[in-house]
Amino acid sequence: MRLEKGVISSLQLFFLVNCFIQGALLPLTFAYPISKHDTWLAVIAAMIIGSVIALVYISLANLFPGKNFVQINDLIYGPYLGKFISSQYSLFFLITLSGYLWFIGDFVLTFIMPETPMSFIMIMFAFVCAWAVRQGIEVIARMSVVFAFIPAIIVFITSAMLLKEMKFTNFLPVLEIPIRDLIQSTHIITHISFSQVLVFLMIIPSLNEQRRAKKPILLGMISAGLILVIGTLRNIATLGPLSPVVTSPSMEAVRLIDIGKILTRLEIFVAMAQILLLFTISCIFYYAAVLSIAQMTKLRTYQPLVVIIGVLSIVLALISYQSRMQLSYSIMYNTPIISLHFYLVLPFMSLIVAKLRKLPQNNGRN
Amino acid sequence: MLLLLISAFLGVALYEVPSLIRNKYWRELVVFSVFFSFTFMLALLQTLGFQIPSPAIGVDYLVEDILHINYR
Repeated sequence: MRLEKGVISSLQLFFLVNCFIQGALLPLTFAYPISKHDTWLAVIAAMIIGSVIALVYISLANLFPGKNFVQINDLIYGPYLGKFISSQYSLFFLITLSGYLWFIGDFVLTFIMPETPMSFIMIMFAFVCAWAVRQGIEVIARMSVVFAFIPAIIVFITSAMLLKEMKFTNFLPVLEIPIRDLIQSTHIITHISFSQVLVFLMIIPSLNEQRRAKKPILLGMISAGLILVIGTLRNIATLGPLSPVVTSPSMEAVRLIDIGKILTRLEIFVAMAQILLLFTISCIFYYAAVLSIAQMTKLRTYQPLVVIIGVLSIVLALISYQSRMQLSYSIMYNTPIISLHFYLVLPFMSLIVAKLRKLPQNNGRN
Repeated sequence: MLLLLISAFLGVALYEVPSLIRNKYWRELVVFSVFFSFTFMLALLQTLGFQIPSPAIGVDYLVEDILHINYR
């Protein structure tokens, strides 16, 4: 029995992936201190590597059409080991969601509403997310069609407005940093944006044409990745050596716009656009966490769990992180390594085990 | 603060539970109750000022001090 009755088209999936990857423009801040003015190279490398990794997920989804990730794990590893692996993923989605909630709370606190307690921002944000998730994947997908355009347009317009401030000598010398730092930075960017496409394994079963997931996902990743590259180029060209230092390069770069003393302080547009995108990302992780838990416990509907999982993620976020430094340090040095287990090792292992057990044919016979 | 927390959790319970009982969704009710009590315990302990070990710091400790596979 399927938990999710909603159906999305491949165009909606394209916009969903597009939003999902574009939303990395703010979390990309964590990569700047490592790779400095070569971050744009790291973004391009991460885009290529992420697309290759996404092929693994897509082939996994194509092997088992109509099945979500928890069901795939059950089929590949059997009921007990499959449940164990699926519970790891549920916890992983939940912790990622709480990380995003904390990130948005911290972001709003730093740039927009400095006097508000962070828990209030997180509660309001999670409330809207819970509302969207209760409505199902169709609503999230329809929202993403609108949300994908606004930030992209803002990135293009602000880049055009900043042309006066840009110094393209800021990119020189290219590849000055050691190759190890570039690898680390690529790994961080893959970790915070591109390889998180894994979460779409929970959403692909809602697609109306089951085996057509490849094109929208790859196109969405590459188009949003190009927007990310443009945003990164804008930040580095404008800020130069300042970009690894500031709290949020996108905000600080756009703050420099000053056209005839009238068009100033436009960074609030960037903040609004990025909050829309972070909202979409949080919704997708929220939805995946709730759906995977409901699927594992064999519920008939996932809706009763939505609110309480949101509360749990807020509490987890408040417990987990004390300061922005802690989150930055964790993302820069530690979590990329541990997330390899989820993004790379387990999906590859699942694919190999499925091929060895010749699973789809058995599945078709039964 | 404690009153606020309890009223918030009471609100969540009143919002979800009646429709579950009306539709005889017992399995859903059990799963909901498990998550509800776990979340309530965590939130209550944090409100009362207990130091709950942070999972993020736990992951950092695992990667840095036990496995030694972190960058740098």
